[in-house]
Amino acid sequence: MTDKTTSQAPPKQSVGPEYRAQNQKPSATVSVDVALENVHVLPQTPQLIALLSMIRSKTTDRADFIFYSNRIIRLLVEEGLNHLPVIEHTVTTPVGRTYNGLMFQGKICGVSIMRAGEAMEQGLRDCCRSVRIGKILIQRDEETSQPKLFYDKLPEDIADRWVLLLDPMFATGGSATMAVEVLKSRGVPEDHILFLNLIASPEGVRAFSAKFPRLRVVTSFIDQGLDEKKNGRDGQVLIHFEKD
Amino acid sequence: MTGLESHVTVQKRAYYSPPWADVSIIGVAGSSGSGKSTLAQAIVKKLNLPWVDSFYKTLTPEQSKLAFANEYDFDSPDAIDFDILVERLRDLKAGKRADIPVYSFAKHQRMEHTTSIYSPHVLVLEGIFALYDPRVLELLDMGIYCEADGDTCLSRRIVRDVRERGRDIEGVIKQWFGFVKPNFEKFVEPQRKVADLIVPRGIENRVALDMMVQFIEKKLFEKSRHHREALSQLEIACKESPLSDRVVVLDETPQLKFMNTILQDIDTCPEDFIFYFDRLASLIIEQALNNVQFKEATIVTPQGHTYSGLAPKGEVCAVLVLRGGSAFEPALRKTIPDCRTGRILIQSDFSTGEPELHYLRLPDNIQNQESVLLIDTQMASGGAALMAVQVLVDHGVPQERIVLATYSAGKIGLHRLTSVFPEITAVVCNMLDTPDERWVERRYFRC
Repeated sequence: MTDKTTSQAPPKQSVGPEYRAQNQKPSATVSVDVALENVHVLPQTPQLIALLSMIRSKTTDRADFIFYSNRIIRLLVEEGLNHLPVIEHTVTTPVGRTYNGLMFQGKICGVSIMRAGEAMEQGLRDCCRSVRIGKILIQRDEETSQPKLFYDKLPEDIADRWVLLLDPMFATGGSATMAVEVLKSRGVPEDHILFLNLIASPEGVRAFSAKFPRLRVVTSFIDQGLDEKKNGRDGQVLIHFEKD
Repeated sequence: MTGLESHVTVQKRAYYSPPWADVSIIGVAGSSGSGKSTLAQAIVKKLNLPWVDSFYKTLTPEQSKLAFANEYDFDSPDAIDFDILVERLRDLKAGKRADIPVYSFAKHQRMEHTTSIYSPHVLVLEGIFALYDPRVLELLDMGIYCEADGDTCLSRRIVRDVRERGRDIEGVIKQWFGFVKPNFEKFVEPQRKVADLIVPRGIENRVALDMMVQFIEKKLFEKSRHHREALSQLEIACKESPLSDRVVVLDETPQLKFMNTILQDIDTCPEDFIFYFDRLASLIIEQALNNVQFKEATIVTPQGHTYSGLAPKGEVCAVLVLRGGSAFEPALRKTIPDCRTGRILIQSDFSTGEPELHYLRLPDNIQNQESVLLIDTQMASGGAALMAVQVLVDHGVPQERIVLATYSAGKIGLHRLTSVFPEITAVVCNMLDTPDERWVERRYFRC
């Protein structure tokens, strides 16, 4: 176990605001840099690392886990929404100034991969009040050990919408791959899908991004440890999400 | 070496002197019942100043017994704690906050709690011995001595002590002839010679009251002008240097600009305004929290693996600059549900634009908190922010622990603030070349 952890050599660096000297910033393990154009990792700020620390610790209780993961999810949603198309929109401010702003073009919807993805719905609602949310249930087939689509319920006009696909954990990516295929089969263009994720494995995310080069992944952390085996080092995060 | 360096830093720093660093103290003395309290109260009321009671010493048990038997000499200078008085007056004169003891005349003792006073432009010190101690006299800007006929004094004293201080008439008379009168001749009357102004007939003397109020108003106006001048001079001085790297402006992402468009649109309905302000405010708070201190923490996962993570170094508390800052409260609660939250009310004078501190309630031991988020919606010229940071610094909060978070800020105001307080961090959503008047709070609270 120890051998594996050391051989993986997770990236450790000092984190904190730029104005602080290097030696005044604490160091922590940060996300692996996969350098893929369609994979966006949230800035590794000290606050984000502290939130991730909370959800990873075995001493964190369920209420705190939900609270802190929601805070990360809101940041993920805010970042994800940045990838939607915009048009210029000029408004007059309450003090009579002109503000050259912008508006979103197009409609969105959320799709959560059951059950873990449903834990991200609250965070999405916090940012997009009346957003439509579809569901996809994918389970591993006992006989073939391949993921199998059990159920889906998606907005009828999903082909005309930008889809925020929600799944907090991404290890091998079997379910997410299948979910994307379901969306594509309903006419959603690949570049209209944003995959929002809390923790991903580097190999999983590399394969996923090669398979769907036009889809965008927004994640808060890419972790070496998640490769170790299914559910990996962060299995507990999954357990928390899957418990009711 | 270190001493030299810190000296250099001090030299570079722009200097801001808050208005309360320049308090004028007016002493009102006179015999008991001469009308000095009424006169002082009339001045305070006319000028809307804070009121502070007295500096009597706490009595020992024996002295307390004497006091209840009306045999303790309250009218001797010995009953007054001049040391504490001088100390507090010096603190106030130096612009520091002062904790004033509260004395209960009914119980003949100092209460356990104290009243904090802060920021008066003018302080009226009233008491039979206000002009007695030479150390006090030195701190006074003006000394007034109230004079009244002896019979009037005694009758006034009887009425006051029976009505307001719960004594009986016999006791009052006993005190008068036992202590008050002899002490008057010995200690009180000599103060007449050091007074700048002698007011006969106390409160009935309208002319004297008006003159004093006029004098004080003139002083106040001068102070206000000096303060405003100092603020604009700071502005000119800091235009020449680059903006501090501790000013963090949120990245103008499409999402941020989109929310800004909704917030700034005059036609946005209140429901949307509040929703999008809360959403944007959460992002500002999250960003502000990146500037507090963290420490390394080794996290053990349920599987027994370890992860080198981070944990907040200590508690983070918040101080809302009213009323704008309270628009951030929902977002703050969403991020730190149990955040200790203080409040400061600073309002700009309608005619002069000078910021004035009206109300202050800070978390206990704020100086020991790891970080203090100072929150306001909008900062224009930065006068209020400057004052708010000064208040925190006066309460012992080190500058580097203060993170100012605001929705919008004028560039010059920010520049000025960070020149005066170079170690604070400012997190700003919109930086404006020409600051707006305050409109966000009006839209958020809908009034």
